[in-house]
Amino acid sequence: MKSPMRALIAGVAVVATAGALAGCAADAGGDADGKTELRVATFPPGADAAAYEGFAAQEKQFEKEHPDIDIIGVEYEWEGPTFAVQLAGGSLPDVFTVPFTDSKTLLENGQLMDVTDAVDELGYTDKFNPVILEGVTGDDGKIYGFPRQAYAAALHYNRDLFEQAGLDPDAPPQTWAEIREAAKAITDATGKAGYAQMAINNTGGWQLTSQTVARGERTQTDNADGSATSTIDNPATRATLEFLHALKWEDNSFGSKVDLDWGTINQEFAAGNLGMYTSGSDIYTALVRDFGMDPSIYGMTVVPMEGEEPGTLGGGDIAVMSPTIDAETKAAGVTWIDWFYMQKLMDEDAAVLDAKTLDESGQAVGTPLLPVLSRELYEESLVWVEDYINVPLDQMAPFSERIWDQTPVGEPKSKTQEVYAILDSVVQSVLTDENADIDALLAQAQSDAQAKLDE
Amino acid sequence: MTMTLQGAESTETSARPTPSAPSAARRRSPRTWYRGGGLANFLFVLPMLFVFTFFSWSPIVQSVIMSLQKTNLIVAEWVGLDNYLTVLSDPELGRAVINTLYFAMLALLFGFPLPLFMAVLMSEVKRGKGLYSALAYLPVVIPPVVAVLLWKFFYSADPGGVFNTVLGWVGIPPQPWIQDAVQAMPSLVLEATWAGAGGSIIIYLAALLSVPPELYDAAEVDGAGIWKKVWHVTLPQLRGILFIMLILQVIATAQVFLEPFLFTGGGPAGATKTVLLYIYDKAFRNSLGGDYGEATAVSVLLAVVLAVLSWLYFRLTDRWSTS
Amino acid sequence: MTTMREKSPKSIDSLAERTIVSTSERKRTGIRFGMSLTHVFLTLTLVVAGLGPILWLAKSAVTPTQDTLQQPFALWPNGIDWENLSTAWNDIHIDQYFFNTIVIAVGAWFVQLLVATTAGYALSVLRPKYAGILNALVLATLFIPGIVLLVPLYLTIVNPPFLGEVNLLNNYLAVWLPMGANAFNILLVKRFFDGLPREVFEAAKTDGAGPFRLFWSIVLPMSKPILGVVSVFAIIAAWKDYLWPMLVLPDPAVQPLSVRLPAVQSQTELDVFLAALAIATLIPIAMFLVFQSVFLRSAGLGGAVKG
Repeated sequence: MKSPMRALIAGVAVVATAGALAGCAADAGGDADGKTELRVATFPPGADAAAYEGFAAQEKQFEKEHPDIDIIGVEYEWEGPTFAVQLAGGSLPDVFTVPFTDSKTLLENGQLMDVTDAVDELGYTDKFNPVILEGVTGDDGKIYGFPRQAYAAALHYNRDLFEQAGLDPDAPPQTWAEIREAAKAITDATGKAGYAQMAINNTGGWQLTSQTVARGERTQTDNADGSATSTIDNPATRATLEFLHALKWEDNSFGSKVDLDWGTINQEFAAGNLGMYTSGSDIYTALVRDFGMDPSIYGMTVVPMEGEEPGTLGGGDIAVMSPTIDAETKAAGVTWIDWFYMQKLMDEDAAVLDAKTLDESGQAVGTPLLPVLSRELYEESLVWVEDYINVPLDQMAPFSERIWDQTPVGEPKSKTQEVYAILDSVVQSVLTDENADIDALLAQAQSDAQAKLDE
Repeated sequence: MTMTLQGAESTETSARPTPSAPSAARRRSPRTWYRGGGLANFLFVLPMLFVFTFFSWSPIVQSVIMSLQKTNLIVAEWVGLDNYLTVLSDPELGRAVINTLYFAMLALLFGFPLPLFMAVLMSEVKRGKGLYSALAYLPVVIPPVVAVLLWKFFYSADPGGVFNTVLGWVGIPPQPWIQDAVQAMPSLVLEATWAGAGGSIIIYLAALLSVPPELYDAAEVDGAGIWKKVWHVTLPQLRGILFIMLILQVIATAQVFLEPFLFTGGGPAGATKTVLLYIYDKAFRNSLGGDYGEATAVSVLLAVVLAVLSWLYFRLTDRWSTS
Repeated sequence: MTTMREKSPKSIDSLAERTIVSTSERKRTGIRFGMSLTHVFLTLTLVVAGLGPILWLAKSAVTPTQDTLQQPFALWPNGIDWENLSTAWNDIHIDQYFFNTIVIAVGAWFVQLLVATTAGYALSVLRPKYAGILNALVLATLFIPGIVLLVPLYLTIVNPPFLGEVNLLNNYLAVWLPMGANAFNILLVKRFFDGLPREVFEAAKTDGAGPFRLFWSIVLPMSKPILGVVSVFAIIAAWKDYLWPMLVLPDPAVQPLSVRLPAVQSQTELDVFLAALAIATLIPIAMFLVFQSVFLRSAGLGGAVKG
C-alpha cells in the first residue's frame, strides 16, 4: 500500500502549497501607496440603496479632508451567528459598533481596543453623559469605545385609530390604567388590537424588563464584585404580567397575534392593525423606510412611570475598534470615529453637513434620540439642523417634552440575552394560557436566571 | 469477470519488494503503480476524498473533540466530559427530548398509517393511479419553507384566519393553533404530515404494485376474501418496506428543525422546542458566541442514541423477518 | 439485486397484473359500489389536500391584502391585483433570489454528480486496493445525522484550512462542496455500476480503452437512469435547503429564496408576500409536471427494495 499512500500525500502537499500561496495573495491588506486603509462598518446587508448613497457622499467628504486615509465601507450587522465567529477570527471591520449590553462581555474578553488616550486627547472625557460613559469603561478604568447614539423606551401609538375610537391623538394616555382604557376603546370601535407587546426572540424579555423598570423595580442587580443577582420576582414585573393578562383575557384588546418580535410588531403597527405598543424611541426611521408606514398616523409619547424608582430603559451603541489593529490604523480609526460619529453631535458645521447629506438622499433627519453628551448640546444641535428635519416632530412632542423628566436606566449587564430568553417564556405563557400562574412563573424564572448568572 | 481489472493488482503484487532489496523496489514501484492504473484510480477518488475529508470526516472528528472542550473559538480548554454532564442535567434538554418524542409519536400515529391507507386505496382503482399519484406528490414538491410560511398564515388565530374560517363553516369557534401551548405541536405535525405523506404514498404504491399476483391467486384458491388477502398476503409482503419506512421516519422526526423554527421558534413557552432547536440555540443564538462545546456534545449524544436505536431495531426486525 | 432496467410500462395503471381485489370480486355490486366510493373519496381528499393549498396560494397571490384577510375564500371580490406579482419580482427582488436559487441548484447538481460518479466508478469498476476502506468510511457517514457536523463545518467555512485569511462565507462553494459529501448518492451510483455487465468493459479494454475513456464513453452513457435519479435528488435537495444556506450566506444579495422569504416577511405586505411565495413554488411545480415520470419513478425507487 505504499505507493498509493505516497501519491495521496504528494497530492495533499500540492493542494496545501497551492492553498498557502493563495492565502498569501489574499492577505494583501495594509497600506497601499502611502494611504492608510481603514475598513469601517456601514449598514446591515440589505439596507436601502439611498442609505449607501448618503454614506458614499460622506466618505468623499472625509477623504477630501483626510487624504491620507482610504475608507473602505464594509457591510456589517452586529447580530447573528457570524458575528461571534468573525469577532473571534478578527475578520470584522477595523471600526464597528456594538450595543451597550454587549460591551461588558467584549471588554472582559479583550475584544475591544483601548481608546482612553484618544478620548482624552480629543477632550471628550468630560463631555459624555456619565451614565453612558460608565458602560464603556472597563474595571481597569480604561475607556474602550465612543458611545455614539442612545435611545429610551417610548410608547408608540396610531393617531388614526385614536381618532376612530374617539380619543384625542394629541393627548395620549399617561398612566397604565389610561392605556388599558384606550386599548379597550380602540378594540371596541375598530376591532383592531388596542395594545400589544413583543414576546419572542428575546424581545419579550426586553420589553418585560423595560416595563418593570417603568414601574419602579429592576429585574437584576449587578453587584460590585462582578456577580449579579436576579430580582425578576418583584411587584413591578408581576404588575406588568397582570396588565398583559387583563388586556389579553379580560378586555380582549391584545389582538390575536401573541408571537410578535421587533420586526413583526413594527409591521403590524405600520399596517394600521395595532393601536399602541412600547419599543425603542428611535424606530420611526425604520417604520417609514422598512415597514412602509404612513408618517401621518404616527404618534409617540413616554412610557408611564409609576412606583418607587421608575426609569426608562435605554440602549444604544458604541463605536469601537478591533484590538488587533496597528498604531497607524488605530489613529486613522479614531479620526474616522470622531468625524463620522462624534462631530455632528458637537460641531454646528459638521451637524449641518451631515443633516444636509442625509436629507438629500431621503434619509430621516431629526428622529428624537437620547443624548450621549449633554441635553443642552443635543437641543442646540437640533436647532442647527432645523432646516433639514424631515420627521413629524410635533407628532412626537408628547415624548420629546416629557422624556427629560425620566431617568435613563441601562439594560442589565450580565447574561442579558440569556435572561431575556427566560423571560420570553414567561411572557408567552401569560399570553397563551389564560390560567397561567404568574407567581409560579416568576419564581421559576428568577431561579433559572440566577442559575445562568452564576455559571 | 473482474480479472482484467485485477490485473493491475497482480502486477503490484509481483512488484512487492523483497526485504533484501528495498532500494530497487522503491525505484520500481512508482512506475508499476502508474502503469497499473494507480494514477487513474487516485484521480477518480480525488473528488470524493476531497469533499469527504474536509466536509464530512474531519468535521465529525472535530465535533467529538469540541464536545470535550470549552471554547470561545480563540482559546479552547479541555474539560473532558463536563459538557456532557452539564447538558444531561439541563432541564431544558429534558424538555426538548420530550417535545421531540411527542412530535415523533404524533407523526407516527397520524403520518404512518395514513399514507399506507391511501396507497392501498390507490392501488385498487383500475384507472387514475397516475393522476392520483401526481396529486398526492404535489405537496412534496413545494419547497418546505414555502409550505411552512403558507401554513403559518393558514394557522392565523384571527377569527378570519383561513383555517378558522373553515372551522366556522361547521360551527367550531376559532382556535389559537400555533399560539397555544397545547395546540402548537399537533399543528406542526399536521403540516409535516401533509408535506411528507405524498412521498410515502408513492413508495407504498410501488411496493403494493410489485406484490406477485400469484400470491393473491393462490390465496383465492384457498378461499380468502378481501380482508384475508390483505392480512395474509399484502401486509407480509410489505413487511420489509414498512419496517424500513418506520425507522426512517423515526430518525427523520428525531431531527425535526424547520417546522418548529419557522412556525413557533420553539414556543409558546418552549412547547415546541425540539432537540435540534435546542442545539441550534446553544450554538448560534447568542451573538457573542455560543456554547459550542455543549452544542456538539448534544449532537454527539443524539447521533449515539439514533445509532443504538437503529442497531436495536435492525436486530429485532431481523429476528422477525426470519421467523 | 437492484438492476435499474427501464421498465417503460405503458402506464402506471398496468404496472401490476392484479392487486388485492380480484377481477371476479370486482363484478360484485358491493365491491363496485365500494370502488366508486373509493374514487370519490380519493378524488376529494387528494384534490383538497394536494391541490387545495396550491390553488389557494395562486388565487391569493393576485388578491389585495384586505380581501385575503377578511374573506380568505372569496374569489376576487374587489378585482384581481396583478401588481402583486410585479412588486414581488421587482421591489422585493424575488428575481434575484430566484436566480440565486438556480445557481445554487446547478452548482450543487454538478458537484454531486461529479463526486458520485467518480467515486462510484472508482469503488465499483476500478477497485483499487484501498476501495474497501473508502467504501466503509463513506457508508459510515450515512448513519451520522447532519447536525453533528453543523458547528465544525461552519467553523471550517469561516476559517478554511490552508487558505489563510480567506473565509468562504457568502461564497457558493460553501454550499456546493458540503453537498457533495453525500454518501447516499455514492451508494446509489455504486450499486448501479455494480449491476452493469462487465463483458462490455472487457470488450472496451481489449479495444484499448483506458480508465478515463471507459468512464466517459462506456459507463456514463449506460447510466442515464441513475444519473437522472441522482440529479433529481440533488436539485430538489438544493432547492429545499434552508438551515445551512442561512448560516453560510449572511449577505442577502446571495441568498436563495428559501432563506430570504422568511427574512423579508415582516417588511413585506401580505399580498406581495403571498405573490412571492407563489413565484417561489412555480419552478418546482413546473418541473414536477414536466418530469413527472422521473420524479415518481425515483421516489418509488424504494418500493423496489423488499425486506
